[in-house]
Amino acid sequence: MAYELLKGIRVLDLTMVFAGPVSSRILASLGAEVIKIESAVRPDVFTRGNVYPENDPGTEPWNRGSLFHSLNAGKKGITLNLGTDKGRDIFKRLVKIGDVVMENYSPRVMENWGLGYEELKKIKPDIIMASMSGLGHTGPLRDFYMYVPGMEGMSGLTHMTGYMNEPPMLSGFSYGDWTSGGTSAAAILTALFHKKSTGKGQFIDLAGREALIANVGNIVMDYTLNQRVEDRMGNDQPYLAPHGCYQCKGDDNWVIIAVENDEEWTGFCGVIGKPDWCKQEKFGNSLNRWKNRSELDKLVEGWTVNQDKFEVTTNLQKAGIPAGAVLNMKEVNLNSHLIERGFFNVIDHGEGIGKRPIPNQMPAKFSNIDSFVPARAPRFGQDNEYVFGELLGISNEDLASLEAEKIIGGAPAFLPGRPTRLNLIQSQNAGQLDPNYTNELRDKYEKDIGIIGIAKNDPK
Amino acid sequence: MTEQAFNKIVVLDCSEGIAGGYCTKLLADFGATVIKIEKPGVGDSTRSMGPFQNDEPDKEKSGTFFYLNTNKKSVTLNLESETGKNLFFKLLEQADVVVENFAPGTMSALGLSYESLAKIKPQIIMTSISGFGQTGPYRDYKTTNLVTFGLSGAMYTSRPATHTSSRPVVEGGQQVEYTTGLLSFSATVASLTNRIDTGKGTWIDMSALECMASTLGANLSEYPYLGLSRKTNPFAIHGYPIGYSVACKDGWISLTPGLGGAPNIPLLIERPDLLEDPLFTRPAQRMAEPEKFDELLAPWLKERTKWEITKQAQELKLAFTPVLTPGELLEDEQLKAKDFFVKTQHPAMGEVTYPGAPFRLSETPARIGKAPLLGEDNEAIYSGLGFTKKDLVTLTQQGTI
Repeated sequence: MAYELLKGIRVLDLTMVFAGPVSSRILASLGAEVIKIESAVRPDVFTRGNVYPENDPGTEPWNRGSLFHSLNAGKKGITLNLGTDKGRDIFKRLVKIGDVVMENYSPRVMENWGLGYEELKKIKPDIIMASMSGLGHTGPLRDFYMYVPGMEGMSGLTHMTGYMNEPPMLSGFSYGDWTSGGTSAAAILTALFHKKSTGKGQFIDLAGREALIANVGNIVMDYTLNQRVEDRMGNDQPYLAPHGCYQCKGDDNWVIIAVENDEEWTGFCGVIGKPDWCKQEKFGNSLNRWKNRSELDKLVEGWTVNQDKFEVTTNLQKAGIPAGAVLNMKEVNLNSHLIERGFFNVIDHGEGIGKRPIPNQMPAKFSNIDSFVPARAPRFGQDNEYVFGELLGISNEDLASLEAEKIIGGAPAFLPGRPTRLNLIQSQNAGQLDPNYTNELRDKYEKDIGIIGIAKNDPK
Repeated sequence: MTEQAFNKIVVLDCSEGIAGGYCTKLLADFGATVIKIEKPGVGDSTRSMGPFQNDEPDKEKSGTFFYLNTNKKSVTLNLESETGKNLFFKLLEQADVVVENFAPGTMSALGLSYESLAKIKPQIIMTSISGFGQTGPYRDYKTTNLVTFGLSGAMYTSRPATHTSSRPVVEGGQQVEYTTGLLSFSATVASLTNRIDTGKGTWIDMSALECMASTLGANLSEYPYLGLSRKTNPFAIHGYPIGYSVACKDGWISLTPGLGGAPNIPLLIERPDLLEDPLFTRPAQRMAEPEKFDELLAPWLKERTKWEITKQAQELKLAFTPVLTPGELLEDEQLKAKDFFVKTQHPAMGEVTYPGAPFRLSETPARIGKAPLLGEDNEAIYSGLGFTKKDLVTLTQQGTI
């Protein structure tokens, strides 16, 4: 659900790819009017072209990508070429009626266009401008060429992720980008509260790497207090055992078990039918279990490997022991707890795609506040008429000539849509494919999920 | 005094641990008066969590507690006693926000449900943080950072792109906790902003599982579109091996060889003979033979330090960056130039250096300040409610404060 908390706040969103769109999606979920600005020459290529419904790019692949729909639900979309004088003039008119400008170009781009914070402030004194980057808007390394591995690697997080004596690891879900986007939303909300209270705007410098350091702050303190750098330790947590990820029955199935004290240990031995383990001195207290954890982990896995991960979860939780199955993307999408709580919204993505559940990006529930299902992510240039016509009062004639001059509108510079190479995913073992997914989703959500898109490939 | 965003906001922080602590830390660092309500004699659970200064376990020397509680005030208060509750209600009269992370149902059982608080203070914003939320079949499940990471789907993706069958590994530190704290902060601030115009309070229900799952938006939506449950980074979709670490002379380097200026890698490693080699021109080839690719790079990398490699690679527009340890962050020239780390004085720890705010606001920057001693502000805050020193002695003897 989205909530009407930021009613009347207008966000001009120039960001692309991942971190920026996460940030503005959070603001849209809180009720702000987010206008995503792209141009035909610089569309948000990466997110628009990623995983098509039923692997069919269709004739307009840029309007069909799952990543785009997930990251941009609830936003409006316009096309405007900022590389032209006229385009920039129109943008300045939008700034006059906007509250927030967000961008994640490399640090010099906005200034070169005459759209730096000092310039925008002249147009709209209380504007909030958020500049997102990997290492920050100033400083000697601000122009570093980097993606999410750079942000994670330079924050200390990568050093701490992975098994001891194995290489440090990148996150598997672009966590650094998410953290950068989530923290940017927090910064913009702080500035919006201040603007509402005092009428003043400001500039936000958001460095993804700094946002990530904040998330490992308590570990960095070991260095500032004791000049010590701990090594990464996999799934271990000092003095807790069993504590880890154990293999279960079936292909690539795992369960987490996290025993925190002797009481839970006794309960654990009872549940798995090994009460004698508790009586052995080597496992008798948490210190001994920690010392002998490699032996203990083998014993525990000897039991889990023949068990169903969901049954392990339920049985241990019943006994008050923290445990949980490692869910894959299918299992998260079909999880009854998340569905009952409304974590997914079924959004109609329109002709050729149909209804699909999309995860919340601001999963808070607010009492007393009006809520609504976010609109589908915008088709390319979908809201040109509303924004240029209704908001800025540009006449139809002028709009037509702007379109002729390629300032607005046009088809995006986009390579032909490429279906996901399922054979590559299979040969690289990069993921599991479930051919029955639409039926699975229909059972759990609504009967007409994906019905339009599936018409020609329906397995039934 | 520099102006700050939340100067006029008062927060009662009944939470323990990292998620609630991080949420109210951000409120406090950006100006709010955060009154941390701790159990008499015991205090917040992070007070007994390491790292401790000089490895001396001491309630006032925990680095974790310090980092998560900068700029807060501390009072001790037993919420289970009648007198304690009455004191809490008095504090509530001056408060804008209450943050708590008890197990769902606990606040109600204590007589401190949102409804009862709203009767006393109709505009109150109550932020309730829990593992699975206030409703639903998992509501009463027990959890830890690792368990929630597994259930959220994040764990399933957490393995090297070239070893997708290996045992998944949790992200370092306590990322579920911080992510939940960050989103709880944003939800609270959005409610405060809304209240300016509407005067409405609200009860916010935050679930750590949902917070963590929301970070996987990109991976999750591939299932309803294609039936795909990917085991690795979403950027790897067309077979690009992205972001893994390779060893160099003094540690590790992060590589993103599938994107951007990848063809320049042979120039970096001084092997122009490899410029046309499919290993460097075709990402799929690299994925098919990752060891071979790494072996070609290894000799050159092993003779150079992470910063030497990074500087040369950046000139060739290669997204190679160093894997830094926490200690190396303190020496990082960019962080130094931006004054990222800050210093303050603490009565038990002396001078303490800690990581600064995660975002920079030009007009209302974060303030620098220490974490409170347990019950440090009892006298100032309770005397402000009209209690005399003698009353405080009685309340202490009763175990209320």
